[in-house]
Amino acid sequence: MGNSVSLRFTGAIIASVIFSFLLLLLPLPDEWLLWRPEWVALTFIYWCLKLPKKISIVLAWIAGLFIDVFHGSILGQHALSMVIVVFMSLRLLPRLSISILWHQYALIFLVLGTYLLINLWIMAATGNNPATWLYWLTLFSSLLIWPLYSWVLSFFHIERSRFDEF
Amino acid sequence: MNDIFDHNPQGSLLFKFILLASISATVMVFDYRDTVLYPVRTTLTMITYPFKYAVNLPFDTYEYLVDYFSEHKKMASENRQLRSTLDLYVARNQKYHSIAEENIRLRKQLHAIPRMGEELLLAQILSVSGNTFRRKVTINRGANDHLYTGQVIIAGKNIYGQIDSIAPDSAEVMQLTDIDHAIHVVNKTVLKRRKKSTDKETKIKEQGRGALAVGTGKTNLLELRNIEANMDIKKGDIYVSSGLGKLYPPGYPVAVVSSIEYNSGDSFMKVMARTLTDFTQTREVLAIWHNKNMIVANEEEPESQLKKNKANEKSTLKK
Repeated sequence: MGNSVSLRFTGAIIASVIFSFLLLLLPLPDEWLLWRPEWVALTFIYWCLKLPKKISIVLAWIAGLFIDVFHGSILGQHALSMVIVVFMSLRLLPRLSISILWHQYALIFLVLGTYLLINLWIMAATGNNPATWLYWLTLFSSLLIWPLYSWVLSFFHIERSRFDEF
Repeated sequence: MNDIFDHNPQGSLLFKFILLASISATVMVFDYRDTVLYPVRTTLTMITYPFKYAVNLPFDTYEYLVDYFSEHKKMASENRQLRSTLDLYVARNQKYHSIAEENIRLRKQLHAIPRMGEELLLAQILSVSGNTFRRKVTINRGANDHLYTGQVIIAGKNIYGQIDSIAPDSAEVMQLTDIDHAIHVVNKTVLKRRKKSTDKETKIKEQGRGALAVGTGKTNLLELRNIEANMDIKKGDIYVSSGLGKLYPPGYPVAVVSSIEYNSGDSFMKVMARTLTDFTQTREVLAIWHNKNMIVANEEEPESQLKKNKANEKSTLKK
């Protein structure tokens, strides 16, 4: 709890979520599609780590609903899994020392793994089972891109060391 | 001190979580089983349409510019070629109209239901679904252009897919290769093969043999199901839509057989086929209205069209 974090401007969280939707919608060639990280989920995990007090679980639900619309998946599927992402991250947070990258990775692995598993269950239950191991590639690409992506997201907030104020 | 009051109490988070999760579950059940949520989806699609459009705009502009600056020579030669094909098609169209007229006359004599011509509307593919395992695209036409759910979409002369969900100015099209998609097809090549042989009985027998072309979720790949082990099928056979199931019009090319596998003992073969539409290349598609939904019979239309064509001809001759 050494550093105090504040938003760079009001609505910075929403701006970052919109930014992640932009990444989600970028047209990609077919070979790259499987490697697309879960941008929106990563964004919410990031804010859960940085500003657990500011993050709203309702916003995550709404974002999930929009993912459903963009992906053409059954309404409520991503809404549910996004809610689980935020809930799990907030609950796991006090159990880890989050400034350590290794701990961050553990958290993201658990949370995103659950996120993908829930999606897979719902897809299988509604008859859209992807039925391939390649489904899990996105988990690894998300983990790979995490350091870079969290650096990009750090532009949305100001981080001050406690000693700066003196 | 402020810290304590500021903090989200764990109890309230849990409460919110349970509430939202149960709402999601309810919404999912309704969306899966019922149609009551279609307006919600439509509204959300409408809200997000400008966003989607904005994201795609730079890429579309880039492609447009690349096209624009492609070699002039090539364009000119292409243009010439297209013009000659156009002439050819105009001539063919003329023939078609005379046949249509004749058909209507004959049908009148038979007191049969008039067959309607097909109407077409050109639409552009706006974006591809972000979901890797579904094969869906969004097109820039919607309910305002009188498109409807379940409408057939073709690309060139091949079948592309059908409309899955619709909004006022856009529609989501399910491609043939989507894992949820199936279309009944018949082998066209086998008929040609049979024509050569004089054995009439087998010819008749083979005509009815169809297969179900089911999407695999992979690019341009379909699986043909229900093909019995003793069927006459070869690599390179072309399958066309059969018109069974009342959704697709009959006779449109769908796929060409790419591989045939048979394990002795099975009653069916495992046949894979490549779609004739190249889904990676297609940018424009046609929405078609065929007689299934065009119930309003307008018998005069082809004749008046014919007159119009003749008038056009005269005017061009005068020139």
